[in-house]
Amino acid sequence: METSPAIPVKYDMEVVRWFTIMAVVYLVVGTLIGVYVASELAWPFLNFDLSYITFGRLRPLHTNAVIFAFGGCTLMSTGYYIVQRTGATKLWSNGLAWFTFWGWNLIIILAVITLPLGITQGKEYAELEWPIDIMIAIVWLAFGFNHIMTVSIRKTSHIYVSNWFTMSMIVMITYLHVVNSMAIPVSLTQSFSIYSGVQDAMIQWWWGHNAVGFYLTAGFLGIMYYFVPKQANRPVFSYRLSVLHFWSLTFGYVWLGAHHLQYTALPDWTGSLGAAISLAMIIPSWGGAMNGMMTLSGAWDRLRTDYILRFLVVSLAFYAMSTFEGPVMSIKTVNALSHYTDWTIGHVHSGALGWVAMVSMGAIYHMVKKLWKTEMYSDSLVNVHFWLATIGAVVYVVAMWVSGIMQGLMWRDYDEYGALTYTFVESVSAMHPYYAMRAIGGIIYNLGAWIMLYNVVMTVRQASASRSASPVPANA
Amino acid sequence: MSEKHDEVSGATTTGHVWDEDLADFTNQPPRWWMLGLAASAIWVVVYWLYYPSVPLPAANSYFKGVGNWSAIREMEADTGEVDAVRGKYENKLKDLTPAAILADNDLTEYVKRSGKVLFGDNCAGCHGTNGVGVKSKKDGLFAPVLNDDDWLYGGKISDIHTTITGGRQGMMVAHHDTLSEQQIDDVAKYVIALSEGRGDSEAAGKAVFMSSDCVGCHGADAKGMQAMGSANLTDKIWRFDGSLEGVKRTIAYGVNSGDPKARIAIMPNFKEAGKLSESDIKKLAVYVYKFGGGQAETPPAAVPAETAAPAKAAK
Amino acid sequence: MSDHDKIYSTKLQDKIERSTVLLFIFVAVAVAVAGIVEIVPLFYLDTTMTHLSPNVKASQKSAGDTAPIVWDRKAGQTLDDWKPGDGVRPYKPLELAGRSIYIREGCYLCHSQMIRPFRDEKDRYGHYSVSSESMYDHPFQWGSKRTGPDLARVGGKYSDEWQRRHLGHPRDVVPESVMPNFFWLDNAKVDAGNVADTMKVMRKMPFYPAPYTDADIASAKAEVDGKTEMDAVIAYLQGLGNHIKFTEGVNYRD
Ligand code: HEC
Ligand code: HEC
Ligand code: HEC
Ligand code: HEM
Ligand code: HEM
Ligand SMILES: [Ca+2]
Ligand SMILES: [Ca+2]
Ligand SMILES: [Cu+2]
Repeated sequence: METSPAIPVKYDMEVVRWFTIMAVVYLVVGTLIGVYVASELAWPFLNFDLSYITFGRLRPLHTNAVIFAFGGCTLMSTGYYIVQRTGATKLWSNGLAWFTFWGWNLIIILAVITLPLGITQGKEYAELEWPIDIMIAIVWLAFGFNHIMTVSIRKTSHIYVSNWFTMSMIVMITYLHVVNSMAIPVSLTQSFSIYSGVQDAMIQWWWGHNAVGFYLTAGFLGIMYYFVPKQANRPVFSYRLSVLHFWSLTFGYVWLGAHHLQYTALPDWTGSLGAAISLAMIIPSWGGAMNGMMTLSGAWDRLRTDYILRFLVVSLAFYAMSTFEGPVMSIKTVNALSHYTDWTIGHVHSGALGWVAMVSMGAIYHMVKKLWKTEMYSDSLVNVHFWLATIGAVVYVVAMWVSGIMQGLMWRDYDEYGALTYTFVESVSAMHPYYAMRAIGGIIYNLGAWIMLYNVVMTVRQASASRSASPVPANA
Repeated sequence: MSEKHDEVSGATTTGHVWDEDLADFTNQPPRWWMLGLAASAIWVVVYWLYYPSVPLPAANSYFKGVGNWSAIREMEADTGEVDAVRGKYENKLKDLTPAAILADNDLTEYVKRSGKVLFGDNCAGCHGTNGVGVKSKKDGLFAPVLNDDDWLYGGKISDIHTTITGGRQGMMVAHHDTLSEQQIDDVAKYVIALSEGRGDSEAAGKAVFMSSDCVGCHGADAKGMQAMGSANLTDKIWRFDGSLEGVKRTIAYGVNSGDPKARIAIMPNFKEAGKLSESDIKKLAVYVYKFGGGQAETPPAAVPAETAAPAKAAK
Repeated sequence: MSDHDKIYSTKLQDKIERSTVLLFIFVAVAVAVAGIVEIVPLFYLDTTMTHLSPNVKASQKSAGDTAPIVWDRKAGQTLDDWKPGDGVRPYKPLELAGRSIYIREGCYLCHSQMIRPFRDEKDRYGHYSVSSESMYDHPFQWGSKRTGPDLARVGGKYSDEWQRRHLGHPRDVVPESVMPNFFWLDNAKVDAGNVADTMKVMRKMPFYPAPYTDADIASAKAEVDGKTEMDAVIAYLQGLGNHIKFTEGVNYRD
């Protein structure tokens, strides 16, 4: 389908196209559910006394939809895309790739059914029950195996940096998922973790943090390393930086999980072990952010006209910011304040909305043009989307920073008589305006996602229309 | 083919090319970054040495760190700070009855301050913010209003203190077996009439009231007995639901009577459950008293809380 | 792209970059280290668990504290023979059913059950939590967000009736609340068979299995029969946090 003058190859791109479209669909769905759960906290009547949509059941659906449906489809579409093009080879197995497409989407459908029914293992980001966990393991291994085998049949001598990151994601997520999901079933729809208490907490956050570190970070750094130089049409700023930050990130990130459990009943030594490296992790993280940013130097002028590049630049800025914030939040005295508050939620979404989703959007726009060999249906809609996403993310994140810090300060405030100043419910009612503001930020962000969906659908339709009109097959 | 020179910057690339035009420059990482990486490695080691961070499997323990830090030690230091502030009040408070505390302005202010969150986090769920009560459409008032001057168990500060210390569970038997439906209807109408000051207009109900066990608990004057917490039925204040239906339900099924439809009235025992310290309970007694509905104590101060006179009707 | 390329990193790095297998192996080893150092010791270091920790025992001893941390159940005793302060015990059948509903409804997404050793948390919620308190919690319920207050010591704080009204319609009781209404929990009965099965699973756990006797499991059905899901959640909440009798001045964490 695609050709390169040097090495003529026919890539397997149909499966990539479908993963790409589904990623956009799930972006809309996932952020829409996000808006709904955000609104439930601002206006609790929205729970409508319907068990299926109460906050406690819908929130896991939101996290699963954005992380596994949107994030997963983005990772698989870009993963298959990048590994073929950087290896100048088609997929090791196109059939296996289609298996991952249908398997992954089946898992997502099962999540959409089971989570509102309250079928859950009760572990954050690992809520899905054991039969689905087994399916996840199978599909994930199929993806991983196909990816790694495609790397191994590449025509280039060296493995491109994007694929290093994807490889580390594949290996780590496999470890994490298998170990963290160990459970004994009571029935087809219920099981309990074999670990308990402290050990379970540590394993859960070893998973929880590295789902962030390897899935939402390493995986997306792989995306960044391909699409930033491609879109900017510039070589990667520094090969050595790639090497150093790859290994320091890969080795270091895994230690961080314990920063989610500081001051809890987890032993002090474990919390400190995690916190020390968390603080150090700012450097490896900024290595990635710098390498991306500096790659753009020399292409800054293009930001005025290249809206896709804007997504990529802003995503790197958010990445740098949230990987500065995270280490700060790992400092004991800061975590004492931030833990349990909406500051954490603000941090999550500066990473999720600003980094993960924005870099994905940039990559998807880039791919859509290439995959369908066309221009976007509307460049100005890309620009509108860019602004909605940026403004929505900033509104969301600022609301949560301000309110989260306020919340933490209210909980611990003492007056001059040594008496606690605020009751807990006073902190709950003080959150209300910020919860409303967050919901509005979310609506703005979600609106952008709808525009993206519209734009992508129109682009695809336009491309197929011109293809069927042209006498020559478009995929040379 | 080896390294290439970039047309824009003149820098060289490693010579590897992927996907037609992907390449990487041979630039060195920024100097600040390399220094940062080294500093980070040093930082980690220093942190590990300072804080307890290293498990020692062989010793079945862990390295405690040279900083002498532990979460518990940190808490002790922080708690020490507030304790120092509270100390001068708490020491005085220890030996005083709630009534005596009330006589000391400075202590009263201290108690008011600390009472706010104590009350807000422990009591407001049942008694409402500032004791205004918690009412639902279906079940009426959940627990007595505390900022009025109507008291089931007495409004003297020692009464209030006893209530919080030991909890309360007023008991009224169910009457659906002993009274006919008609009788319950009559007596309910009588009780409502009483609260409106026209008790004599409901002769039938009054007869039921006087002849059944009601007087045993509520007294012939229906003003209630604080020793057992039976409600005063002659005022306009309803402990539960004051509608005809509501009153009928109270009479038919009773309060804490064991009947499945009984009204439930349980004030938890904060002392035994270990939820509040002696001193916290004292503070709360003063705090609740200060809502404004408290009644004067005779004699006023210096009576040890334990021996305070049992509640006597004082309305 | 010949083999004679200049190497801009190290020979090893260059080798790894050329070999899928080497890259795979180096990555697989690099990411495994942390878990081994950080997690594995938690399973066998005695200092991890309050009731095993020699430091805690020493601290208890010097304070003259004899309150047990884990319930020492004598032969013939039933779960109902346990009294608050007797030490950590496995959940009673109705509590266990309530716990499953707590998980199902995602309460842990708004409520933590982990009081940190801070002065304000002590003033607000009570004694800090210790590891052994959650030893029978598969999975742990510490939570990561306090949209609502911590529940680690909520047991006994309110009456059952309050819990029923609050869970049913939180805003009837606390007007500022953002918690969903759960009155519909009263409409479903607890599945007795499921409770017994859950107890069997808890007893089979490789780590900290719940020491249920056959008699405990046999009596489960009778104990939960006819109870609603609401009753179960309330039973669970009322049992939280009063297992250990803490003594002032003892360090239960080190
Ligand atoms: C679980 C609900 C609940 C909580 C929590 C609660 N109360 Fe009560 N309280 C009640 C009920 C119910 C009664 C009435 C008992 C009765 O009728 O026998 C009551 C009665 C009282 C009375 C007696 C009122 C009178 O008219 O004599 C006082 C005083 C009081 N509570 C103070 C407090 C304080 C202070 C706190 C917090 C430390 C508190 N309560 C927490 C439910 C509660
Ligand atoms: C065993 C003692 C006892 C008997 C007998 C008894 N009561 Fe009561 N009654 C109480 C107590 C105690 C309360 C207050 C319960 C509480 O608030 O906790 C009460 C409350 C009430 C209330 C609710 C008042 C309000 O403010 O909502 C009504 C009405 C009432 N009783 C009527 C009657 C009538 C009529 C009879 C006889 C048919 C009767 N009671 C017999 C003890 C008794
Ligand atoms: C949307 C978030 C949310 C969910 C989901 C939620 N809660 Fe709450 N909960 C709150 C808030 C906010 C409060 C504080 C205000 C209040 O008392 O209602 C609270 C208070 C409570 C309290 C009172 C604690 C105290 O010490 O005063 C209990 C008990 C409770 N919740 C139990 C539950 C249970 C059980 C569930 C699940 C079935 C649940 N909650 C689900 C938000 C939530
Ligand atoms: C319109 C956009 C979005 C809105 C309005 C939104 C809203 C929310 C809300 C209300 C919560 C629950 C917070 C709480 O419990 O207090 C949440 C949690 C979460 N969201 Fe989003 N979200 C959005 C987009 C995303 C995206 C794109 C991602 C990831 C790529 C994401 C990842 C998460 C995660 C990981 C959590 C769990 C956080 C935690 O447990 O600490 N969200 N979101
Ligand atoms: C070096 C980088 C980072 C560090 C050191 C770091 C650190 C932290 C810390 C300390 C917390 C709070 C833990 C707590 O108190 O409960 C946290 C939470 C979180 N972070 Fe990060 N963070 C980093 C980067 C990121 C990025 C890039 C994302 C992107 C998506 C992210 C997603 C999350 C999520 C989802 C949570 C919430 C977990 C929960 O449910 O409680 N983090 N992080
Ligand atoms: Ca799972
Ligand atoms: Ca969380
Ligand atoms: Cu983390």
